[in-house]
Amino acid sequence: MPIRNPLRRQPSTTARHRILPALATAALTALALSACSAPTNNPRGPEFFDWSDVQVAADGQTVKLWMWGGDDQGNAYVDDVLAPAAAAQGVTLERVPIADTKDALNRVFTELQAGRNTDGAVDLVWINGDNFRTGKQADAWFCDWTGLLPNMNFVSDSDPLLTEDFGTPVEGCEAPWHKAQFSFVYNSATVPNPPTTVEGILDWAEANPGRFTYPAAPDFTGSAFLREVLYSVNGGDESVPSMYSDEAFDELSPALFDRLETLAPSLWREGSTYPATSEQLTKLFADGEIDMMMTYGPATLTALVENGTLPETTRVLTVEDGTLGNASFFGIPSNSGNIAGAMIVANEALSVEQQVAKADPAVWGQFTVLDLDALSATDRALFDDLPQSPVVPSFDVLSRNANPELSAEWVPALDDGWRTRIAAR
Amino acid sequence: MTVTTTSVTLDKARANQQQRRMPGDHGRPLTQSRGAARTLRILSTALIALWFALPFVPLALWSFADQWMHPAAFPMETGTDGLTAAIANGGGRAFIHSLVLSLVVAAIATPLGAMAARALSRGHVRFGKSITVLLFSPVMLPPFAAVLGLNVLLLRAWVPPAVGVVLVLVAVAIPYTTFSMRAAYAAYDDGFDEAARTLGATSRLTLWRIHLPLIAPALARSAFLAFVVGWSDYLITLVVGGGQLVTLPLIIASSASGVGNESSVAVLSLSAVIPPLILLGLIARSRNLDPGRQR
Repeated sequence: MPIRNPLRRQPSTTARHRILPALATAALTALALSACSAPTNNPRGPEFFDWSDVQVAADGQTVKLWMWGGDDQGNAYVDDVLAPAAAAQGVTLERVPIADTKDALNRVFTELQAGRNTDGAVDLVWINGDNFRTGKQADAWFCDWTGLLPNMNFVSDSDPLLTEDFGTPVEGCEAPWHKAQFSFVYNSATVPNPPTTVEGILDWAEANPGRFTYPAAPDFTGSAFLREVLYSVNGGDESVPSMYSDEAFDELSPALFDRLETLAPSLWREGSTYPATSEQLTKLFADGEIDMMMTYGPATLTALVENGTLPETTRVLTVEDGTLGNASFFGIPSNSGNIAGAMIVANEALSVEQQVAKADPAVWGQFTVLDLDALSATDRALFDDLPQSPVVPSFDVLSRNANPELSAEWVPALDDGWRTRIAAR
Repeated sequence: MTVTTTSVTLDKARANQQQRRMPGDHGRPLTQSRGAARTLRILSTALIALWFALPFVPLALWSFADQWMHPAAFPMETGTDGLTAAIANGGGRAFIHSLVLSLVVAAIATPLGAMAARALSRGHVRFGKSITVLLFSPVMLPPFAAVLGLNVLLLRAWVPPAVGVVLVLVAVAIPYTTFSMRAAYAAYDDGFDEAARTLGATSRLTLWRIHLPLIAPALARSAFLAFVVGWSDYLITLVVGGGQLVTLPLIIASSASGVGNESSVAVLSLSAVIPPLILLGLIARSRNLDPGRQR
């Protein structure tokens, strides 16, 4: 009986013999890929006992700051003002311009998924709200570090804008950078007698058909407008609980959507379409298609008027019932390889010199996060002496009666409601 | 005397041969369009030219517009603010990064594509069809899905970000280079190489003096395609590069996501369009050269 040599190749099965190793490789690759998704990492980051520890570790580090690159003034401030100050502390600061902050988060998540826990490409991110919450849920931020920053002494620890980021407790996982105030903007040439309340703005829009609109949710500015109107139609921010519940939503949201539904026919293009982003809204205003718009970043208005994008008669409306306020932060991914250097940059950005320079409308015009009452008289004077913008009122005027932001869970619920009730109208 | 006469007649014969054209050749009565057809041809050419040129008009205008507000038809103030802002945003460095990246991608993907195309067109490989499908799969896969998964693998393997970007972009470029080189090899006669070897040329000499000059125009075309892959990529450079490589598309995308940067975005976009156009012009010129002609 012939014994079949298992090593001998059978001519008829050559093809199969060649395919099998390939299949095996593919199966192994698939196995390796599925193993990747298992959470093998438990990111923590280094430990520092005091600030001098941080300074020693930071010396010579290069910090990659990932930030939205759509604001020329902001880019120039980081490159020309913040980076040299960091260099004086022995830290090189390099800006990575991105079109969307989520890109930075995606990078961090991918690295963590791949088990790269100590040498991430993202050292520092300009964040707030949703992106912070997403990162915190994924345990992607380095935490408990802001207490070490010497310049945090001038930041109030009871300021709700700085202890919570859209309802997510900050808990030392991000350092404040500047404040922003939701603002309504109008053209004083075409709106000689501007309204003074949110309800007044909606009435004005109905009296001037086609001259007002707002960005479609879930655009950041568009959904902020939904919250403004939610407060307004329910009798102010005290009537809306910050924490989300289905009961609160069912009770309070119908008034909002009813109001927006009656408003819709008076909007730009009869509300048949909405600008998709706040940038598109700003373009409509710049082109004179609408007379009133809104922004969560009033800091950029001064420069936009100066460079001719917006008309010279652009003005910010001060609303009696107050508007939403929030703060921008610096977050450090837990897998950054330059955590100490990133802390040096965040601390430097909180210094009086940097905050004053950034608050100058000619530089960037961003509102400070420092507690002015805690500053020395000479430091305070630096802020008082800042040139006034002809377009944007000072922060204390703009933030009068400021409304707190709702917790982040409210945002998708309101956005969904808007999509089904208003957009599908 | 006689010698000169023969050389003159020879020259004349050669000139005649060059002048002699076949009835179907370009410019002969058979291919000449007349009347309505001619008008239509000229008109359609003009329309297509306009179609390609029109987008550049506002781009060029915006590049030098310091102030341009609705409803003015033309910039109200011209200057170099856009250029200054583009440079301040890191446009210069990004341009150099883009150039180096695209050249490296072209330098790797072109010879690989040429080799693959030659092997495939000569039937040297088994399962040629399946391999062709494999080669083209990067073009058919949605890049976002592929890149995100691939990046985890690259990070696990500790591949440096810049090397990773080049690797993935080469994989994306190879289908294009292979495809264009396959067309070239389908028309290439291996007899040239064989003749040179028969006459005693070494295989290296044959490659350098016969083979490469003959396929040079096709190589240039496929190198251009690979260059454009590297030049225009946003997603792979961002995701795999992890901020180490800030190229022109990255700067343009982030700049364009804001309001009021129109002139700097226009300058950046123009600077992104011009190098491929120059390359294309160079290739169009080199195609007219006959690579086989003796000098």
